Amino acid sequence: MTMEYCKQCVYPFVSVNLHVDAEGVCSACKVAEQFSELTDEFWEEKKKLFERTIETINLNNSSGYDCVVPVSGGKDSYYQVHKMVSDYGLKPLLVTYHGNNYLPEGDYNRDKMREVFDADHLVFGPSVDVIKKLNRICFRKMGDMNWHAHCGIFTYPIIVAVKFQIPLMIWGETAWDISGMYGADDYVEFSARVRHEHGLRGYEWYDMLDDPLDPLEEKDLTWLKYPSDEEIIKSGVKGIYIGNFFKWDPYTHTKLISKKYGWKASEKEFERTYRRVSNLDDRYENGVHDLLKFIKFGYGRASDHASKDIRTGYMSRDEGIEMVRKYDHIVSSDLQHWLNYVDMDEKEFWQIADTFRDKRVWRIEKDEWVKDNIWGEPSSYGPVYSRPEGF
Amino acid sequence: MGKRVCILDYGSGNVRSVANLLRFLKIDFVLSNRVEDIETASHIVLPGVGSFGSSMKKIQDRIPLEALGTEVLIKQKPFLGICVGMQVLAETGTEFGLHKGLGWIPGRVRKFADHGLPIPNIGWNTVLESSGNSLLGEHQKLDFYFVHSFVFEVNNQKHAIGTTEYGEIYASIVRRDNIVGVQFHPEKSQKAGMILISNFMNMR
Amino acid sequence: MKKKRLIPILLLRNGSLVQSIDFSEYLILGNPVEAVKRLSEWAADEIIYLDISGGEKFDAGRSDLGNAFKRTFREVIVDVADATFMPMTVGGKIRNRTDIAERLSQGADKVSLNTIAFDNFRMVEEAVLEFGSQCIVASIDYKEIDGKLRAMVDGGTRDTGLSPQSWSKRLEEIGVGEILLNCIDRDGKKNGYDIETISEISADLKIPVIALGGVGNWEHFREALEKTDVDAVAAANIFQHTDQSVYHAKKYLFDSGLSVREPMLLSI
Repeated sequence: MTMEYCKQCVYPFVSVNLHVDAEGVCSACKVAEQFSELTDEFWEEKKKLFERTIETINLNNSSGYDCVVPVSGGKDSYYQVHKMVSDYGLKPLLVTYHGNNYLPEGDYNRDKMREVFDADHLVFGPSVDVIKKLNRICFRKMGDMNWHAHCGIFTYPIIVAVKFQIPLMIWGETAWDISGMYGADDYVEFSARVRHEHGLRGYEWYDMLDDPLDPLEEKDLTWLKYPSDEEIIKSGVKGIYIGNFFKWDPYTHTKLISKKYGWKASEKEFERTYRRVSNLDDRYENGVHDLLKFIKFGYGRASDHASKDIRTGYMSRDEGIEMVRKYDHIVSSDLQHWLNYVDMDEKEFWQIADTFRDKRVWRIEKDEWVKDNIWGEPSSYGPVYSRPEGF
Repeated sequence: MGKRVCILDYGSGNVRSVANLLRFLKIDFVLSNRVEDIETASHIVLPGVGSFGSSMKKIQDRIPLEALGTEVLIKQKPFLGICVGMQVLAETGTEFGLHKGLGWIPGRVRKFADHGLPIPNIGWNTVLESSGNSLLGEHQKLDFYFVHSFVFEVNNQKHAIGTTEYGEIYASIVRRDNIVGVQFHPEKSQKAGMILISNFMNMR
Repeated sequence: MKKKRLIPILLLRNGSLVQSIDFSEYLILGNPVEAVKRLSEWAADEIIYLDISGGEKFDAGRSDLGNAFKRTFREVIVDVADATFMPMTVGGKIRNRTDIAERLSQGADKVSLNTIAFDNFRMVEEAVLEFGSQCIVASIDYKEIDGKLRAMVDGGTRDTGLSPQSWSKRLEEIGVGEILLNCIDRDGKKNGYDIETISEISADLKIPVIALGGVGNWEHFREALEKTDVDAVAAANIFQHTDQSVYHAKKYLFDSGLSVREPMLLSI
């Protein structure tokens, strides 16, 4: 069985939620094409729709805030807040989920937000002991130590919006950018289903209780409980995506916010990708968390970034392939950092990680993990620590 | 004796859905046609999907009618017939020819008259319960899901304890003492169905 | 009186819930059972589940998911039926009465027949006799070819040579219980239903008609309910885009004075 890749970008066919058509072009590329063909008139209409939409959502807003903006302090956060404050003169309540993984530049950017924007800022951090337990539990359960962060980011701001009765929530980039889940003309709101399935892989707080090695109680996880349909309808909370109404271009955004607000990119290069502007709020997002994606599905952050950049014309496919070759497989140094953080040893890490290897991607040859590469010949990527079923 | 439903499974019904609903409501049940199960149950349910004639044939072939008659007519155990399971309670039915029913509630099953409305009747409609009954909760009025082309015409209006309007006003719930028949599908009617089944379980 | 129905359609393709545009482009939305649970929580009137898979492969291949992807359409149906207490119609690749019996025993209340009704109408007649006409929905996909409307089969690729008007009349004669009328040209376009055709056919037939194809906002539902005799309005894509979608759609229609079920939530 050979790995197949999209003919236009560098995504493998096994990419999460990707659909590939008869010509070998993936759904994300098709949607990006759709997006690139959009006219100025289209965006004008969308802008007007945006304005009507926020007005409608805020019709019964007496909370004192114009909107909630979930922010990490990253480039996207800055852009979202900039749009609301600068272009629309709104007073937002910024809400941050602090998962305890910030890089120094991330701390700086996050804390600077209420200095450079006229906004109030709520930063919420769960108990570190609970976070560490969730790191380990979720790594064992689903090969994702950062699940707590996905959950926190997609739950806590909504809890706040419901509690404070602030109906309008402003998100940024749309989920469809990665896989082409929705078309350019779909009006999409934040939904519990997408959060549950795609954000949280089908797990919820109640799946995290009673782990024999890391027991947790319900009161440890209050911040993970998504509000009920009744609460959402009563408070009128609706989350809309800026990317649904305005052209989304991370490089342009970054230039703007660096210049206007002094936003800082990472001073060091990342080990697993060439971009320096992404994921400063979580040191593991580009690192060991993403390494697990490679271990599972054979592609990593560099593939994500290169594919996005190919689609928007910033990079050629050949250049993209070079990025994949250089970065996708790297075992970054933050692995050690994480192992110390959660008190796990490396052998155990690899034993557990190996249980998630995908059969469509990996095979075992001479006790090593081997897969096909986008540039041609297959290669081996390290020794086998444990053999999952089916191998 | 604890409550336990015997769902009769004669191969002509969406028994799985009825079972799912009971399971959800945490009501103990068994899917069976065996005499022992009919005798030890506290409540009996007869589901039904399909035509009158073919359902009656399957009932006659697979269900021990004598034992069932004893438990329902003599011992007066609460009995619920659903859709065709309600229609077979009649004396006769005219779907695809003239067929005999169980005759437990006097009346006949005939096609909807032509009122210019689409037939089969498929969709949600209101059931109004007459006073003195308590299957539909405090408002005595709920919407249920119907899917049928034939209706139960009772001989004695007293036996039509729930009515619905669709071109004509017809019996959507029939009842004679412990024997209840519902034309609609409680197992497909979400909350309303749950209320009805819970109240049925409180009978006796 | 009887309420008009609002019916979400779920499209299943190779194990995933998808959106469809023009019957040719598919975007993966996610887990089919999860989506149905939400629709059930919002008290959808009923759902129609269509299998539009290409090959037989259903393996999402992921061991890291909390809600497992099922291997076959059959398993999906069983899970869906077990999780919800609302009527479900199942369609796609039904070829004979055994297929129908199987779907019904797995929890479907009705089945939808498309291509097979054209290729072997005798099978449909027999199915009506065996299962009852209320169990049998005939699904008609139609598009415009050379200025004329044509009913198509095989996923919109083969021309029956018949107009949707005459084909639906024929199906009514054969004894099917409902017609699901789907305009291919409007699929995924968000420009509203084909009101003209729906109006004509729903007035002409004695059996219920369900409209499908083209919904972009709740207004389109209202238009069909006000301007035609249609018994139910259906849509696929739009219900998957926003939370409590069914609730909001119903509220809009209910508040507009239309005869639909009151919006409600089931706290299941």
